[in-house]
Amino acid sequence: MFDLDAGDEFDLVVQTARQFADDALVPAMRDAERAREPDSGLRATWNEIGLAALELPEAHDGAELGCLARALVNEELAAGDVGATLALDTFGPAATALLEVGGNDALAAGLAACDRGASRLLLISGDDADCGIENDGGGERLSITAPYVHAEAAGALVVLLDDRALLVESGFDFEPVRGAGLRASGGASLRADAAPIAGNWENAEGASRARARARLYYASLLLGVMRSACDFSAEYSQQREAFGRPIGHHQALAFMITDMRMALEAARLVVHEAAWRVDRGLPCASEAASAFAECIEVSRMVGPNGVQILGGHGFMADYPVEKHMREARALGLLCGGFDAAIDEAGRTLVEQTTPLALGASGAL
Amino acid sequence: MEFTVDPETRRAIEQARELGEKELRPAGLEADRRGAPIAPDDPFFARCIERGEGRTRWRGPDDSAKSSGGPRSVISTLLVMEELAYWDRGVIIATPGPGLPENNVLVMGTDEQKERFLGPFLEPDRPRWACFGMTEPGAGSDAAAIKTRAEKDADGWLLNGAKCFIGGASRSDWILVQATLDPSKGRKAQRAFFVEQGTPGLGGFQIEKKMGLKAYESTSFTLENVRVPASHLLGGEQRRESNAGFKTALKSFNAGRPAIAANAVGMARAALDESIRFAREHDLLEQDRVRDRIEAMARRVRKARLVCLKAGWLADQQRPNIIEASISKALAAQVAQEATSMGLELIGSVGSRGDHLIEKLYRDVKAMDIVEGTGQVQRMIIARSLVGLPR
Repeated sequence: MFDLDAGDEFDLVVQTARQFADDALVPAMRDAERAREPDSGLRATWNEIGLAALELPEAHDGAELGCLARALVNEELAAGDVGATLALDTFGPAATALLEVGGNDALAAGLAACDRGASRLLLISGDDADCGIENDGGGERLSITAPYVHAEAAGALVVLLDDRALLVESGFDFEPVRGAGLRASGGASLRADAAPIAGNWENAEGASRARARARLYYASLLLGVMRSACDFSAEYSQQREAFGRPIGHHQALAFMITDMRMALEAARLVVHEAAWRVDRGLPCASEAASAFAECIEVSRMVGPNGVQILGGHGFMADYPVEKHMREARALGLLCGGFDAAIDEAGRTLVEQTTPLALGASGAL
Repeated sequence: MEFTVDPETRRAIEQARELGEKELRPAGLEADRRGAPIAPDDPFFARCIERGEGRTRWRGPDDSAKSSGGPRSVISTLLVMEELAYWDRGVIIATPGPGLPENNVLVMGTDEQKERFLGPFLEPDRPRWACFGMTEPGAGSDAAAIKTRAEKDADGWLLNGAKCFIGGASRSDWILVQATLDPSKGRKAQRAFFVEQGTPGLGGFQIEKKMGLKAYESTSFTLENVRVPASHLLGGEQRRESNAGFKTALKSFNAGRPAIAANAVGMARAALDESIRFAREHDLLEQDRVRDRIEAMARRVRKARLVCLKAGWLADQQRPNIIEASISKALAAQVAQEATSMGLELIGSVGSRGDHLIEKLYRDVKAMDIVEGTGQVQRMIIARSLVGLPR
């Protein structure tokens, strides 16, 4: 069966996310960026709608709706304000990383460390930081430097490496940086010297699935940012006139807008298929890496083109397209960015003879 | 959401795979080497008929005949078409059958027309073809601009004009010719007429020389004072005052876009698999640049397949799919061209010899961005919806 209907249960949460984005995130977008965090009113509303626990198991008071639900919700939220979304979703992809690598015990430890989301549980991908583990006889310790993380405070770190996940609850420092984008989430360089490791779960397969989920988390945020850029610039192109007609009626721009939309539609399907594979327990590392790479590649086209369509206005902070362009690029640099994604996807692909042959496994 | 292939479709894909490996790929490579279409009397076509191919979906006057297969979902059809095109798209087009106009006849044809023109395809005694004559030297994507005239004659219709790039025209039992009653009235004045092979005035058949897809013939022909009876107007005399003829033609085009997209996906996938095989044989898989190209090719194939299936899924749901059909066609054709081109970069100068499958695919797949509305026409259709691009 091939079926693209999300189903009633998903429709409800997607609708909730869309309404929150439209009513709360969009109006506060620039204020949150200036303040480097969403205001308390936004946080209160966010906590009421309960989207943070979407993927958590029922045993941890979550909705256990899975990766696809997260992808659908993330697109809606990021279409409103991706920086604020990262700040509000205090678990981010860190909670599911703990769950995939260390199971319920690891998740419980992580949730306790961040006081169930009262502070942030921040995922650090090994691709984005220099990490070293040592044992001084008194226990394992982590030294880490990361030039950029999309936060300037956290209750605990989850460091995701190739074969394990580490939980670090103390001994790390943030030094705020301006941030190229995602400023509503804060931004800092991160450093820890011999920080005590509170949990160390070794599980290469789980780490691979955790990495897949993290990539899909950011890929779906990219979808939202790109959708917003597409929608805004297409709408603008019908209002703004040049040479006697709406600029969108000049074929050069009409085709550019069409290419942006086509690329977004395709990227969305690729993300959804990969997320579906995660939820079904199918091999997903290559597909998730490929989906993230696709979103990054498309965002490199959509972001600048959104600005281009608005011309000089697009370059100014009076319109959101410059923010879309900056934030899409910043998102695409996380988890090792494009290069790490295509490297992982490529290595898996070439192990096969006919990687996309139809029908053999039942899945596409 | 579900991204699985049902067991029945999987079996159909497996059958297509066996047929493709045994028959389609060798026949396509041979036609490409010879630079000529597979001849109508080639044993390949006789074997098609023996396997039960080339039949109409019409079930006969009493609805009892064995047809070429029961109703299949659009999704299933697209997946099988992807698999067949993986082996050779040109050969698929060359295979006998009532072809592109069949749907128009099924939807609009009178009972008498179905019996006369589809009847011979119920249990074909030999390979038989039919084709749809729309494109003209001066009217390709802009199908509303065709100039072939149809004038009412005392006891029928008189047709005059020229057609080109028509698949299988010289070997077809009949051609469904699109003509205009009045060129100044555009699409409203278009009607379709059955013109049987051998009708006086139908001639000048010239098989075009193409850069790819050489297994099937693309033919130009002329109509000079071709007389057809009134009963040869598709839909019968009652259609004379109706413009449904053109809408029916476009309907078959709309249905065809995801199918062309599926073909493009299959061809791109063939290029991907050949690239991996070449890289493995030449110990290139440890090179980053090689893996990166393979990843890019696979990613393009995957997304093109999904947009294609989305268009098909909407059709299965009886939901409007005109935008998605155009997206699938525009995107799949483009990414398939990119994928075959990347494959050529990977095999390097071997691709310049002119005897490698990827090189053939690179030539073959270009047509996918042209037939049934170019990528630019698809973008115009999409842009009308997105930004209100005027017609």
